[in-house]
Amino acid sequence: MRSLTSLILRLARALLPASRRQWGDAATRETEEIGHPGAALWFALGCLIWAGREAIQDRLQKPRTFGETLMNLSGQRPGAYTIAILCSCAATGLGLAYMVMGGAPGRYLAINGGAFAFGLVALAILVLADRRGHLAAGPVTLSLGLILLATSLWGVTGGEVTRWLALGPLMIQPSLMVVPLMAVLFARSRDTLSLTGVVLGALALALQPDRGMAGALAAALAVLAIIRPNRAALTAAAAAGVGFGATMLQADRSPAMPFVDQILYSSFDIHPLAGAAVVLGLVLLVLPALEAARVDPAGRSVYAVFGAVWTGIIAAAALGNHPTPLVGYGGSAVIGYLISLVVFHRQAPERGRFAVETAADPERDGPALYTTGP
Amino acid sequence: MTRSRSLSPAARRVLAALAAAGTAGRHGYDLCAETGVKSGTLYPLLIRLERQGYLAADWKTSDVPGRPPRHIYRLTGAGRHLAAESPVMDEAQRTLPEGGLA
Repeated sequence: MRSLTSLILRLARALLPASRRQWGDAATRETEEIGHPGAALWFALGCLIWAGREAIQDRLQKPRTFGETLMNLSGQRPGAYTIAILCSCAATGLGLAYMVMGGAPGRYLAINGGAFAFGLVALAILVLADRRGHLAAGPVTLSLGLILLATSLWGVTGGEVTRWLALGPLMIQPSLMVVPLMAVLFARSRDTLSLTGVVLGALALALQPDRGMAGALAAALAVLAIIRPNRAALTAAAAAGVGFGATMLQADRSPAMPFVDQILYSSFDIHPLAGAAVVLGLVLLVLPALEAARVDPAGRSVYAVFGAVWTGIIAAAALGNHPTPLVGYGGSAVIGYLISLVVFHRQAPERGRFAVETAADPERDGPALYTTGP
Repeated sequence: MTRSRSLSPAARRVLAALAAAGTAGRHGYDLCAETGVKSGTLYPLLIRLERQGYLAADWKTSDVPGRPPRHIYRLTGAGRHLAAESPVMDEAQRTLPEGGLA
């Protein structure tokens, strides 16, 4: 719990404007003197709320990028990729804090924490593959679509829906891992294989049925079709829309699971701070898309799809019995969020260079923005 | 011209605790524990008091060797005057003098 407290304080300090930083240091020192870990966590959460208010007020008075706000963490301006990793870390931490406050079993905390570590490793592998040119969007997206279809056909059924796979004692929901990555890869490369993968994914979600993920996919592809319309984008959006419509026509009798579904409401019953942790964690999930779109306009469509798919997942969690990503119990969403961040690593101003070199073929390669000069 | 505003019950409790501490002062968590004010409320309050000259915030070296210093808060003369004028009364509707908490 001490490390979680420390993480919350680091985030609070990062949010504080420079003029308030010594007060953040003072609050950090106070927390270190608190003997009881639970009391220290409460104190730190209060400080986070204070820092959030200060950050909002400061931003309203002096508009600047979220990245500049996070400069406090490392002393240099982080890129969208770094911001996205920090946001995922903070959201997962806030989710753990909510679960601790709610008295969730320790196993839930361990699974979310373990999923975060696993997701980071998976993301590192994907980034490495992408840098070496081995992450071909078409075959990968097609494979993801086939995984979703296989889950729908041969997966584990519960409450008349089939959307899980059993990995030993663990039950995972592949759609939460696959759909966001599929959507952002398709936004980057809209070739025939990618389109086939997306259509298969939409079909699979309709078969499960999974309104939440089908709605998120449809929202993401609709955004793409509006921002960068072409035949592939319109076809994919139409397929996802039909798939979403099909899920709406079928009964979805998934029961609400504690610490997974409906927690946007139930967390406030535990304590206002628990509710605040959940809401703040969810806001952090879409912040990287806003920041990346601001500093990298060429890749705006990819970041818009990222933002739309995660907003859709959050909206589904708010409206029905669908998992609340990262802040609720469930490792699939944690892993899914992290691996979908692969599209952020290409934009890298944190290297301290500012001249822009666009990809050779943005339509094919996406909005690569490697920097080349001082 | 600065608008006068009434002091909140939390501000009155913090002022009373600081006034009782005298020159010894109080640390942040001690103030939370003594007054029941949450950290998210306490720090904005301390910042405003300090900015308006009612409070002095200093880094105090720890009595335990090797421990980093902590912030300690003491009322200034103006702060003691404000505390005397603002007793702990939830229903109190007193207002600050000109230039009070904004």
